[in-house]
Amino acid sequence: MMQFTRQVGMGRNVAAALVAVGLAIAAPAALGQAREVKVGLIAPLSGPWARQGELMLKGAQMAIEDINNGGGIKSMQGAKLRLVTADAGDSTEKAKNAAQRFVASEPDMIGATGSWLSSFTLAVTEVTERAEMSILTLSYSDQITARGFKYVFQTSPTAGAQSVGAMPAIVELGRAATGQQLRTIAIVGDNTASPVSFLKPMREGGLEKMGIKLTVDEIFTPPLSDATSMVQKVRSIRPEAVLFVPTNTSDSKLILEKMNEMGLGRGRIPMIGNGAPLGMPELLKSVGKDLMEGMLVIVANWTQKGQEKLIADFKKRTGEPWMTQDSLSSYGDMWIFKEALEKTGVADRKKIADAIRTMDTKSGPANFYPGGRIKFNDDGRRAGAGIMIIQWQNGEPVTVYPTDIALAKPIWPKK
Amino acid sequence: MQRTIGRDVGLIIIVAIVYLAASMLIENQYYQLMLTLVPVWAILGISWNVFSGYSGLVSFGHASFFGLGAYTVTLLMVKLNVSPWFGIPVGMVVGGLAGALIGWPTFRLRGHYFALAMLAYPLALLYIFEWAGYQEVSLPMKRESPAAFMQFKDYRWYVGIALAMLVVAMAISLKIERSRFGLSLLAIKQNEPAAEAAGINTLAWKMRAIMVSGAIAAAVGGFYAVVLLIVTPPSVFGMLTSAQALIVTLFGGVATVWGPVIGAAILIPLAEILHAELGDKIPGIQGVVFGLAIVLVILLAPEGIVPHIREALRKRREAALGGGATSVTASVLMEPAMAGHANRTVSTEVVLKVEGISRAFGGLKAVEDVSFDVHKGEVLGIIGPNGAGKTTLFNLLNGFLPPHAGRVMWRNENLIGLRPNEICRRGIGRTFQVVRPFARMTVLQNVVVGAFVAEGDDDKAIALAIEALARVGMSERVTALAGGLTNAELRLMELARALASRPQLLLLDETLAGLGSQEVERMLAVIDGLAKNGSTIVIIEHTMQAMVRLADRFVVLDHGRMLAQGKPEAVTKDPAVIEAYLGKRWMKHAQH
Repeated sequence: MMQFTRQVGMGRNVAAALVAVGLAIAAPAALGQAREVKVGLIAPLSGPWARQGELMLKGAQMAIEDINNGGGIKSMQGAKLRLVTADAGDSTEKAKNAAQRFVASEPDMIGATGSWLSSFTLAVTEVTERAEMSILTLSYSDQITARGFKYVFQTSPTAGAQSVGAMPAIVELGRAATGQQLRTIAIVGDNTASPVSFLKPMREGGLEKMGIKLTVDEIFTPPLSDATSMVQKVRSIRPEAVLFVPTNTSDSKLILEKMNEMGLGRGRIPMIGNGAPLGMPELLKSVGKDLMEGMLVIVANWTQKGQEKLIADFKKRTGEPWMTQDSLSSYGDMWIFKEALEKTGVADRKKIADAIRTMDTKSGPANFYPGGRIKFNDDGRRAGAGIMIIQWQNGEPVTVYPTDIALAKPIWPKK
Repeated sequence: MQRTIGRDVGLIIIVAIVYLAASMLIENQYYQLMLTLVPVWAILGISWNVFSGYSGLVSFGHASFFGLGAYTVTLLMVKLNVSPWFGIPVGMVVGGLAGALIGWPTFRLRGHYFALAMLAYPLALLYIFEWAGYQEVSLPMKRESPAAFMQFKDYRWYVGIALAMLVVAMAISLKIERSRFGLSLLAIKQNEPAAEAAGINTLAWKMRAIMVSGAIAAAVGGFYAVVLLIVTPPSVFGMLTSAQALIVTLFGGVATVWGPVIGAAILIPLAEILHAELGDKIPGIQGVVFGLAIVLVILLAPEGIVPHIREALRKRREAALGGGATSVTASVLMEPAMAGHANRTVSTEVVLKVEGISRAFGGLKAVEDVSFDVHKGEVLGIIGPNGAGKTTLFNLLNGFLPPHAGRVMWRNENLIGLRPNEICRRGIGRTFQVVRPFARMTVLQNVVVGAFVAEGDDDKAIALAIEALARVGMSERVTALAGGLTNAELRLMELARALASRPQLLLLDETLAGLGSQEVERMLAVIDGLAKNGSTIVIIEHTMQAMVRLADRFVVLDHGRMLAQGKPEAVTKDPAVIEAYLGKRWMKHAQH
């Protein structure tokens, strides 16, 4: 995976060796300085979440290349970063093993990013916390930063914060697009754990407080065999927006097809889904561009205004149709480590953790996260981490909220 | 089962100490974690083996117990601040109870249906725990007094605890294998009806097995939670967990104490090494290689590694001895004693009274309103052409089938409604028309299974079995595997199994079927010998010739009805009987 080191020509190698020898003679003190700094990525590279892991890996690799091509770590005489990856596989046990392997076999690793699934991240951080190694994560679970741990840094808004923050954001988005207050909403989703916990604060007074009436409440047990009656209800009652929270792609597709068939598709009723999987490139094939059109998705991070060059670069170098939050955040995480290294000047786990803990910047790595600021609270949560909303427009999910960093205007029908 | 477990436990402890010593030398925490996970999965394999390996009831659902143990420990710690040191024993109780709750309804099912039903429990539990909001529960880090909560900075503690649990689990497994517990389960595995007829309370043993197994699985599940520090329903109730238990056991060797341990010791590090070496280079390939390794072993050593090695060692030893020294196949034929009923004492005391018993299968009346008495000390022959309902009658008498009408009185007690093992316990033994041996057990083990009813002590049961084998003239074949016996030997062995329960009444179902004339003589002599010693025998047979010499009295069945009963001489001259056997055409020939 470290092709860039191989691309270095033979002659350059010899030259580098000569320089190294020269340095060794001239300045023995410099020997103590690591020429290469290891950072880790623990992500599911095999199993059901392998694709997400791959997207994370692509982001991290690109960041490493960019950092190294830009001269490496300046405070460490241009030391290069080296990415070490471990497969978290398909179980918490494998994820924990991977973390343990990192901690034990890579004593000079300064920190890592991972591990997509919250339960993996929970298992991984149990190991890294004891080894005092920093973990940056995009996993949502509130628990990750509710255990009093000192070495885990959550760049995403937690699941709890997302479900509280979702409704105001939707209302704001609706008002910005139509100039009117959202008054009625429908819920269409399944009864699995994540939608249930996402909807909980809304059902328990969250909607009411905002003056929104829940007019359709359709909860099903997956898998769905027929969506007709559900969609018919939505059509006859005509809520102003639909909270769309099924977990399985097949169920989503069935409902979207029916919506389209009944003339509700393509954003005629705004549909708001939850979670980055609804922004995966795979949906182009499995569900299709037309059915996804207009779908709004709540995410923790996405490409924003000002990142146009990065996006184009990423597309070119990886062949992916766009940059998802998994790629973007692991890209940014590498830059956070770089920033910390610049500050400490040594590849030391504890010092790196201190540097991240005391970091407060609105530039550099801060550009890769919504809110534009890297500062972590005492519990490890990123200050000001808020949700973003993306919308499928012409076969690509683009950021539409927050408005100041949006890449496009939302499609939201006016009455 | 003759050996005590002391020596083997010694060996286990030595291996455990060597393992522990090796782990002490290792500084790398990652390797220490691996050294902890090997015993963890070995113990789950043992738990599966204790139940499924010996009893043959395949469980795809051991994750239920594992997960309940894990969640018991975790929730006790999270909600009530109870240390895993106490949580694990509590988890074992939960696991044992879950075994009882799951076993009770599920043992009604057999074969694939049982396996599939077992699969359903962890799936259901997975959703229940998700629904209850326990998607991700982590064991809180105890910065003060971590050891009191089984949290150690030095991972070697975990290796030590895991090993201690493994030694205990292996000792339990050994104890089971070497006692009537294991033998009864093996008997159930090979032929459940025969085990039931031999007096084994199959349901009780299965319940005990699943409870012990559930407790072991829960203990290791609780420990797994402590090691992993985070419990999610898929990680403990998931298919992979149940499969892991099966895989390490099948790989190492089913129904062997060391099998799951060897399986885990090879597979767990192999999977992890593949994962570590290939996982980040060619993601997913590790699963393929792992799968291929398992397929290869199953193809080359279908019984698992331990039995395969054992077999290879045995062959080598035999070759060293010059081969073939062990098998003396020729059975020593007993001198055919003059069989006959002249010198028997038959009392008039009625021991078994059958009153108006009936049983129909749909429209077919297999047995209809049959009544007869069995006198103490007599040999009663039940004869009739094929399909007359003789075997059905036996199945009614010993509890395999419930009758639709009538009753069977044995010493003033109605036997109807009792299970076969209960009837056996009351002193009624039986053999089968189609021999039902426990093919993969030795002759002695086959017979010992029958002796358990009569003797509570295992050693005495063995003595009783040896005595029963002597009575049928099979003393020289005690160590042979039942699967390699001749038909005649199998019938004698089955007879010995019935005798070993010290029955007061023996039901023999076509014991002479398929025997050569010499073998018939031998069998007749044995049965006659039993009768002379005061046994009461009811025997089914359709070859009239042998029966005339053996029986004191006949009951003749035809089309489920009783045609005649009485002394052999009278019955054989009865025109109705002759007609039933030979048809009307032969009537006039027979009268001459």
